[in-house]
Amino acid sequence: MSTTLSESETTPQPDPANAIAQSRRSEDWLAVWIGLFVFALSLTLLAGKDLLGWAITTSVWTVPAKAFAPASKYYSTLPWLLSLAATYVFLLGVLLAAAKALRASLKRFALGFTAVFILSYACWFVGSWAYIAATPDKRSALRVPWSLSLTNEAGFIIALIAGLLVGNFLPGFAKAIKEAIRPELYIKTAIVMLGGFLGIAALEQRHLATSVILRGICAIIEAYLIYWPIVYFISRRYFGFSREWAAPLASGISICGVSAAIATGSAIRARPVVPIMVSSLVVVFAVIELMVLPFAAQHYLSGQPMVAAAWMGLAVKTDGAAVASGAIADSLIRAKAFAATGITYQPGWILGVCTTVKVFIDIFIGVWAFILAWIWSAKIERRSGDKVRLVEIWQRFPKFILGYVATFLIVLALGIAAPSLVPNIKAAMAQANVFRSIFFLMTFFAIGVMSNFRRLWQEGFAKLAAVYVLCLFGYIIWIGLLISWLFFHGVFPPMVKG
Amino acid sequence: MSEPRMTEELERMKTEYEPLLPIERKLIWYTLVSGIVLLAAFVLISRAFS
Repeated sequence: MSTTLSESETTPQPDPANAIAQSRRSEDWLAVWIGLFVFALSLTLLAGKDLLGWAITTSVWTVPAKAFAPASKYYSTLPWLLSLAATYVFLLGVLLAAAKALRASLKRFALGFTAVFILSYACWFVGSWAYIAATPDKRSALRVPWSLSLTNEAGFIIALIAGLLVGNFLPGFAKAIKEAIRPELYIKTAIVMLGGFLGIAALEQRHLATSVILRGICAIIEAYLIYWPIVYFISRRYFGFSREWAAPLASGISICGVSAAIATGSAIRARPVVPIMVSSLVVVFAVIELMVLPFAAQHYLSGQPMVAAAWMGLAVKTDGAAVASGAIADSLIRAKAFAATGITYQPGWILGVCTTVKVFIDIFIGVWAFILAWIWSAKIERRSGDKVRLVEIWQRFPKFILGYVATFLIVLALGIAAPSLVPNIKAAMAQANVFRSIFFLMTFFAIGVMSNFRRLWQEGFAKLAAVYVLCLFGYIIWIGLLISWLFFHGVFPPMVKG
Repeated sequence: MSEPRMTEELERMKTEYEPLLPIERKLIWYTLVSGIVLLAAFVLISRAFS
């Protein structure tokens, strides 16, 4: 910080952390517009127009040719290859507009996106193979004697593994598609669409939805008021990190990974490189959590699905990895609950609770950064004339949440105002859900590509990683589990009727 | 901007050690205690209304 800056660091230089923060804000708004665009197109179903029914869906398959079909029966005569091509062209068009807004190279983005789409969708296809995906109740219909019961969301895990292989073993290819490796844009777009899907869930189970939202708010306290001070204390007292490193590290491990590390770094005026290095560590550990925690949740918490859901939201860092963990936990726990007890939970509730918890945590990043900025400028470094402005809370507010809230409220309001429209709204959200799944899929792949595990072996990184491992696996996931248990045990998703 | 090596950063933290200031201790304890108190309050509230 200011007291420790060397001469080379005091000269005006480009601020990569600021550039990343600005780019993230732009991605936030783009996610809102893309999400709302798809959402609006899906709602045309209410006016009798089926504008998204041509999109491709993939079912659990034993014969590859039968895996694909258009989303709507209205387009049932459309060959699946055309449906797949139309989905690709639509997404390419929409995302090229976003790439233009982000001032990315359109040619490189188009090439990168083509690779990301093809590889991600291939993973989805493989993950939908009956021997991997079929749940026990579907085995006889599909004529398979056994299956891993992972549901077709196993495609997410395969996409993550494929991304990890590309990111860690094919650096040349990873670099060539880098322009389209945008997990934050993809997941935020998916979250905006998810709002409508959760709106439907809330319409059908208003009391449960209200209860989940209130409990989600309570869980936020943990991230900011319980996690943060302990991580900060451990990194300062026992690992000897300076304030400049300890604060972004505490935010990265405790709150919401990359966004929080960058917001904190800028709040305390850390050198730009500090939050960037912390972020690279956060991403790697988020992937480790993503590959371990949903399976642990399935094994130990299948009897308490909402506890598992909140746990994913509280323990897994970065929006992408947290929501992705919720999606995997959703399918794994539902499959296990059915196999063990015959209970069929409605899909989406575990993912919904996880996302709600994560979104609430995100909302307060700006407030927390504001508080830290004030303490640092007024009490720790006493920067005269350096006023902390309230507008910074808004500047750091994750804007994609506005899109999530908007789609949620629109669906809720439509359903309450015209209950007869609910079946059509459900059908519309099912169509938007096709695109949400594809954005999820691309998120998993992109997270994998971005996770450079070699970083961990770099000289000196071990100490930073040691704080992370100690805090994350030493108490964050356990306190997260305890608090999820306190607020969500005994709360269950609704069951599928019939 | 060249990325600093982590080893150099750690070396510098050793030589320019920053002890915990009283305000930092306050920040740590106030947030932790208020977190635990609020947590207990919310658990009670959620139990009362569930």
